[in-house]
Amino acid sequence: MNLSDRISVPSQVMGRSVGDETVILDLESGTYFGLDPVGARMWALMGEGKTLGEVCDVMLEEYDVTRQRLEEDLLNLAGELAEKGLIVRQ
Amino acid sequence: MSQARSQSSLALAPFHTWVFPNGALWTQFYRVDGDYLLRFPDLADFHVAADGLSVNGFPAPGVPEGTVQHLYLNQVLPLVLSKQGKRVFHASAVELAGGAVAFLGESGQGKSTLAASFAVNGFRFLTDDGLVLEPVGGGYAVLPSHPSIRLWADSEEALIAPGAATAPPVSFTSKSRFLAGDQVRFCDEPRPLRRAYFLGDGSAETVTFERLRPAEALVEWVKHSFLLDIEERPRLASHFEQVAGLAELPIQYRLDYPRRYDALAQVRAAILAHALEG
Repeated sequence: MNLSDRISVPSQVMGRSVGDETVILDLESGTYFGLDPVGARMWALMGEGKTLGEVCDVMLEEYDVTRQRLEEDLLNLAGELAEKGLIVRQ
Repeated sequence: MSQARSQSSLALAPFHTWVFPNGALWTQFYRVDGDYLLRFPDLADFHVAADGLSVNGFPAPGVPEGTVQHLYLNQVLPLVLSKQGKRVFHASAVELAGGAVAFLGESGQGKSTLAASFAVNGFRFLTDDGLVLEPVGGGYAVLPSHPSIRLWADSEEALIAPGAATAPPVSFTSKSRFLAGDQVRFCDEPRPLRRAYFLGDGSAETVTFERLRPAEALVEWVKHSFLLDIEERPRLASHFEQVAGLAELPIQYRLDYPRRYDALAQVRAAILAHALEG
């Protein structure tokens, strides 16, 4: 997974905000994944068909964080979600 | 219920199975001509209409009627209710202080023992398993289910005095099913849900309560759900939404306590005090 990858969310995956977190459910496999508010924002932006780099651009405007730290966190999360089938590389 | 029939092999593979922790097969879920067939090997088949509004049970040859009724009440009915859009969970529930508290857990984690412990000590139980929740106002009501509690022999020995009414034994488990009565008391009216406790693994040395975040509660409610058709996406999606609403309520906790019968009085007292808070 790298910053030029464009991501999509499979049709069988849905997310639901509860409290200040988001739970993602894969209806096909029954896999669940919990996201904190920052992770939920990353996932939502990924679902808009942006590249990971574009997701970083948007979030740098919204959060007080360095690009390096944000890219690391985003790539880690994207890798984990992809491994669980909760996002796919387009 | 229909006449006994042999369990002929089916051309299609089951779309879902339940297995015991030891790997033994318990239930197979098939689609047959648009309807469902639930097979409990060597015990019974249940034909469930696609809309979940009718069920027909077929005992395997030599299986007593009581066994089939037991399977229907404890396994099939909760699944069918889920198909009808109800919120149904693997949980027991008891009436406390005019409300209800639910205990959710995997098989063997103590939810029936805990409910029975309350029911023989001045309180009333609402369900042993197959907890059905109905939205009422801004909360949920626990509906009473079948007035019986199933217990393994060690829990029976610790909790139930000799002479309590039991249902006839069934052929697939050594659990006894105690019928509600003067000794094991039952609440036959809905009660508002005050607390939901997700049972821990028993590693705690004292009674412990830990508040669950809504996201944690959502995952736990989904894990403990009865669902007939796990491949039916619209129903799964609607169930996820239903449960998300439930998970938002500030009433869900993880509960752990030492699994010793001599500690149950202390556990009951702690739960009662906790349920009355707030």
